[in-house]
Amino acid sequence: MSFWFTVFRQVGRNLRQTWGSQLMTLLTVTLSVLIFAFFYLVYTNMLKWGDRLGDDLSLIVYLEEEPGPELQQQYIKKITTFDEVEKITFISRADAYQRFGKQLGQNQDVLDDLPGDFLPPSIEVIPLKSLRNLNQVKFFSAYLAKLPGVLKVQYGHEWIEKFYYFTKLLSIVMLLSGTLLIMTTIFMVAYTIRLTILNRQAELELLKLVGATNNYIRVPFLLEGLLQGILGSTLGIASLYLLFQWIKLHFSGPGFLNMFQFSFFPPVISITIIGVSILLCTLGSFSTMQKFLRI
Amino acid sequence: MNTNPTQSSEIMIEMIKASKVYSKDVKALNDISISIANGEMFFIIGMSGAGKTTLLKLISSMEQPTTGLIEIGGAPIHQLKGYKLARLRQKIGVAYQDFKLLTDRTAAENVAISMEVSYKKPQMIRKRVKDLLAQLDLTDKHNKITGDLSRGEQQRVTLARAIANSPTMILVDEPTGNLDAATTEKVMKLLMKCNKAGATVVIATHDDTIFRHTSHRIMELQKGSILSVSRGNGT
Repeated sequence: MSFWFTVFRQVGRNLRQTWGSQLMTLLTVTLSVLIFAFFYLVYTNMLKWGDRLGDDLSLIVYLEEEPGPELQQQYIKKITTFDEVEKITFISRADAYQRFGKQLGQNQDVLDDLPGDFLPPSIEVIPLKSLRNLNQVKFFSAYLAKLPGVLKVQYGHEWIEKFYYFTKLLSIVMLLSGTLLIMTTIFMVAYTIRLTILNRQAELELLKLVGATNNYIRVPFLLEGLLQGILGSTLGIASLYLLFQWIKLHFSGPGFLNMFQFSFFPPVISITIIGVSILLCTLGSFSTMQKFLRI
Repeated sequence: MNTNPTQSSEIMIEMIKASKVYSKDVKALNDISISIANGEMFFIIGMSGAGKTTLLKLISSMEQPTTGLIEIGGAPIHQLKGYKLARLRQKIGVAYQDFKLLTDRTAAENVAISMEVSYKKPQMIRKRVKDLLAQLDLTDKHNKITGDLSRGEQQRVTLARAIANSPTMILVDEPTGNLDAATTEKVMKLLMKCNKAGATVVIATHDDTIFRHTSHRIMELQKGSILSVSRGNGT
């Protein structure tokens, strides 16, 4: 009879004897992985979306007067004094009128009764990528607003600010769910293994008496934790994938969700989550053995 | 007091001034010095509480002596750990008074366990279990849960488990405590058969019917100390 044959038979016996608590642990591990992976998926997608938003970020500086060539150079100098920028474009009243007309499309006839210079001139500033952190953009905006001749600065700050705080909130939720994952996998697995050890106290004593090696006694418990990790995390990731596909199928088409281009984890991330969960479950089982399985 | 083995010059069990103290007031064994030869049958007798079971536990290394030295086959057992200790225990068959049976498993499973830990082949285990249960009149109990067996039957299953792995040393605590005369004789015959096959057999008992006519050595314990070591006057 080989070592592994007896070990697997022992694992099967343990699972049969404590199937109730094993099932509960499996469900807990699955749910923990599902919750963590769900928030992580939303978070990574939001970050990607935020990156795309950042690409389109520009500050519109509205001016009191149309700047002459000299004033334009002075504005450029002042703007670049704060930091280097990607692009500075001066928009005259006429350009602004034209742009607005284009934006209105078929409804541009509403402008017919309005004078061609009713819109203020402006400067469109596209900051460098490095400047796209919300706090820096805020400082930059405040700096530009203080320049002489500036009416106001617009960059959709309210919306960006909300998005920034939303991603912050998501990162906190992700951290919390990550902690939940660690706690549940380690403690639930440890608790189940402890129950198994207590259930099998008499047998373990007998095994020692008849000369079972430490590995013979310990490996089945370690395998139990490993198995919980493999099954629980795989089920968790698989459930998330199914949920993701279901959402994609039922919420595709025009609508709010279509603004976001959601994508599932690349395989390497899924494998990493499964790997870490397996490691945590095995760690839970190992720590219990160290505490309660004195050989 | 003669404590030297006489059957063989090779020593299996060597105890030198071994003592076991559980607490200040509970001194289970006191300065026990004895040598038991390889292949010897040895009786430990004494009243309840004399220290017989503790002595067996020390020999089987399930407990460590508080002071003194115990060697099995020349190796000091307190120095053995892990794999080496497990290998030693595989060579020792123990049948304790409290049986230590898995009461939710069958008689066959209980006997097989001692062979499984040394990775014997399944067909060999099945055959050996069947043979042993037959020798102890337990054929019809093969698939019975041991929790449902009588005390006498449980005792025989324990004995079968102790000798199943063909150990070089067999330690038996009160092997006939729950048995009738006919079964006692069968159990003793089986133990003698193991002894003739070369196993060192140590029997702790207070049942004088099993050592009354023996020619083997008998050690009497009283309150944890050796009262006497003598050779039986049987044939």
